[in-house]
Amino acid sequence: MGDIAMTDFDVIVVGSGMSGGWVAKEMCEKGFKVGVIERGRKVTVEKDYTDFIDPWDVEHLNRKTDKDREDYPIQSNVYAFQSYTRQFWVKDKEHPYETADGTDFRWLRGYHEGGRSIMWGRQSYRMSEIDFEANARDGHGVDWPVRYADMKPWYDYVERFAGISGSMEGLDILPDGVFQPPHDLTCAELDFKAAVEGSFPGRHVIPGRVANLTEPTQEQMDLGRGRCQARNHCFQGCSFGAYFSSNSATLPAARRTGNMTLISDTAVHKVIVDEATGRATGVETVDIASGERKVMTARVVFLNAGTIPSTMILLNSANGDAPNGLANSSGQLGRNIMDHHSGARGSAVLPGNLDKHTFGRRPNGFYIPRFRNHTEEAEGFVRGFGYQGGAMRERWWSSMGKEGVGADFKASARTPGQWRIGMVAFGEVLPNEANHVRLHANKTDQWGFPVPVLDVRWGDNERNMVRQAIRDTRAMLEAAGGIDIQTDDPDTAEPAPPGIGIHEMGTARMGRDPSSSVLNEWNQAWDVPNLFVTDGSFMASGGCQNPSLTYMAFSARAANHAAELMKDGTL
Amino acid sequence: MVHDLMLQRRQVFQGLIALSAVGGLAACGGAEEGSSGQIAGAVAPGVFTGEEMALISAVAQTIIPKTDTAGAVQAGVPETLQSLATDWGDADFQQYWKSGLAALGSALTSETGAAFTQLSPSEREAVLSAFDTKVFSGEVDNGFYRDFKATVVQAYYMSEPGATEELAYEPVPGEWIGCVPLSDFPKTWAT
Repeated sequence: MGDIAMTDFDVIVVGSGMSGGWVAKEMCEKGFKVGVIERGRKVTVEKDYTDFIDPWDVEHLNRKTDKDREDYPIQSNVYAFQSYTRQFWVKDKEHPYETADGTDFRWLRGYHEGGRSIMWGRQSYRMSEIDFEANARDGHGVDWPVRYADMKPWYDYVERFAGISGSMEGLDILPDGVFQPPHDLTCAELDFKAAVEGSFPGRHVIPGRVANLTEPTQEQMDLGRGRCQARNHCFQGCSFGAYFSSNSATLPAARRTGNMTLISDTAVHKVIVDEATGRATGVETVDIASGERKVMTARVVFLNAGTIPSTMILLNSANGDAPNGLANSSGQLGRNIMDHHSGARGSAVLPGNLDKHTFGRRPNGFYIPRFRNHTEEAEGFVRGFGYQGGAMRERWWSSMGKEGVGADFKASARTPGQWRIGMVAFGEVLPNEANHVRLHANKTDQWGFPVPVLDVRWGDNERNMVRQAIRDTRAMLEAAGGIDIQTDDPDTAEPAPPGIGIHEMGTARMGRDPSSSVLNEWNQAWDVPNLFVTDGSFMASGGCQNPSLTYMAFSARAANHAAELMKDGTL
Repeated sequence: MVHDLMLQRRQVFQGLIALSAVGGLAACGGAEEGSSGQIAGAVAPGVFTGEEMALISAVAQTIIPKTDTAGAVQAGVPETLQSLATDWGDADFQQYWKSGLAALGSALTSETGAAFTQLSPSEREAVLSAFDTKVFSGEVDNGFYRDFKATVVQAYYMSEPGATEELAYEPVPGEWIGCVPLSDFPKTWAT
C-alpha cells in the first residue's frame, strides 16, 4: 500500500474526535498509512483526566470563577463544564465566532485529541427506516441516499466494537442493536414505566442506551478497556476506559497497527486540489504554536473536524474552479444546519417507594422513544421527539434551601428524600437551506482563518413540537401520580437556542443528486472523488436520536468503501 | 500520580467494605466517637477577621452541630468559607458577606444583649432556630442568611467527614443496582 504514492500519507484524517477516530482505525487496520491531524493538544490519562477527584478536592465548592466567565463565556454554561473539566472546553476568547443579527447559536466544543468523544453524553441510538424515509415522505430536505438496511450491518459493526449497553425492545422507531446488559431502571422509574405504558399504548419507557461497558468483550479488554465502575464521572475522562471515546478505543486500535501518525497542535486551513485532475492532493496546515504553514499530501483526504470546522475548511478551500467553496457546485455547502432542540423540560415528585434506594451512580437514565407522528398523531408539526430522564431520591442539596437548624435538620439530610423525576425532550429540527454557516467577510482568528458566522433560526415546526412535548410531559407525569409537577408553560415556551443540543450537523449533506447535495451515499464529495466527509456534516436529516452512533456507522462504512476504491486503483 | 490515587481509593473502598461487614453503615458514626474537635482557635488568614470567623463558626455549628459525626466546624466549613471569600470571591462578594455577617450578628444578639458567640450551644440553637423560622416563613426577609445557610450546607456535605461519615460515599461503586431495599443502604448518598 502506498507503493505508487509520492505522498506523505495514504490517507489524511482531519480531526481525531468521534468520527475521525473511526476512519483512522479502519484505514490503519486495512494497512494504509494514516496521518491524523488534530488541531488540539495530545491528551493523556495522567495529565488530563480528573476522574478521581473527591468532593472535598473540588475547588471553591465548584463555583465558576470570574476567569471562567471571561475565558469561557459560552462553554462555561455547559452542564459538563466544571472546575475540574474546563481543560476539555475551548477558550471562547481564542476561538471566536459570530452570529447573524437577531440569531443565537451556542457552539460548544473542545479542541484536543479525541475531541468531544471525551465529554459526550454517550447516549447511543440507531436511526430507523422511518428516519431515513422522512425527507422523501414530507419533502423537507433531500432524500437520504441510503436506507436502514444499508446501515444495519454498520451499526452492528460499530456497536460491537464501541460497546453499547441497552435492552432489546423490538421497536420499529428505535431499532435494537448489539447490546451489552442494560442499566436497571430505578424502582420509581419502573412505576413510571408501568403508568406511562398503561395510560398511553405505543409509548415506552426503556433503559437508556449508552456507550459504557457493562460486560466488556475480549476485544475491548485487549485495548485496555474495563467495565464501567458506576461512578458517573464520565465527563472527567475515564481512567478505566469504560466508555467509548477515540482516546479509549479507536485511536489505540489505530495506533497498535503501527500505521498511524497523530500530528497534534496543527490546524488544517484548506484542502488543496490539483485543478487539472480535480482531485485533492493534501491539506495546508498551520502549527498552532508557531504559525508555521505546511503542506501535507495524501491519496485520500477525510474531513472529520466537526460539522462547522469541516464545512469552514471546504468554504475556505475555494479555488478558480470552485469559487464558492470546494465541493460546493450544489451551493448547499454550509446550509441546512440542524441540531436537536431541547426546550421541553419537566420534573415532579413520584410518591411512594420510600423503602427503596439505589446503589452506585448510573451514567445513564431512561429513554422514551418518539411516538408523535408515529403511533400518535400530531398537530402543527412533522417529525417528533424522544425523552431522556431519570428518577432518583433527593439528596442533601435539597437541604440547602430548607428550614431548620440543629441535630434534627442534620438528621433529615441523612435519610434520602422523595423520588424526583426529571426529563427533557430532544426534538428533530428540519433541514432548512436558510440556516447556514458562512465565512466572515474580513474577520479572522489569530491563525488567519476566517471567523465563522452562524445564521440559524428555529421555525414553527420546532416551536410547535416543543410545546407538544411539554404537554406530553405533563400528561405522563400526571398519569404517574406526580406531584409538584414543574414544566414551562406549554402555550408560550420556546425551543432552547440552536447549539445547546451539541448536535450541530447537516452542512454538507449527502443525497442522490449532485445538484442538490454535497456528498454521495458513501460520504464522498460529488465534486472531488478522493475527498470524504464523515462527521455530522453529512446528515441529510437529524432524527431525534443522539447522533454520534450514526456518525460512527457512516464513518466506518465510508472508510471501508474508500479502502476498496484505493485497493482497486480507482483512488 | 494516578496510581497513587487509585491505591488510595482502593484503600477507602476496602475500608467501607470492612465497615459494612462489622454491622452496617451505622458503624460509620460509632467509629467517630471521641474524635471531636473544639471550635477552631487558629484562623486561616483571609478576608474574614477573627471576629467574623467566630460568628461564622458559631452559626455554622448551630446549623450542623456535632452529633455522632462531625459538625460544621470539625468538618472545616469555616475555613472553606474563608477560602471561598478570599480566593474566589471578588470585592462585591466579600463586601456582601462582610456586611451580611455584621447584620446577622446584630440580628442574632439575644434579648439580654449578649453576642451570639457568647451564648451557650443550647441558647444559640434557640436563638438561631427562631430566626431561621422567621426567615423561612417569610416574616423576615434575609437573602444573606439563606445564602449563608446554603453555602454552609454545601461545604459540609462536600467535606470529607460530611460525605464519608455523615452520609454514604462510594468513590468506586463498581456496579449500578437500580432498586435496592433502603434498609441495605439507609443513608443518603453523598454523590
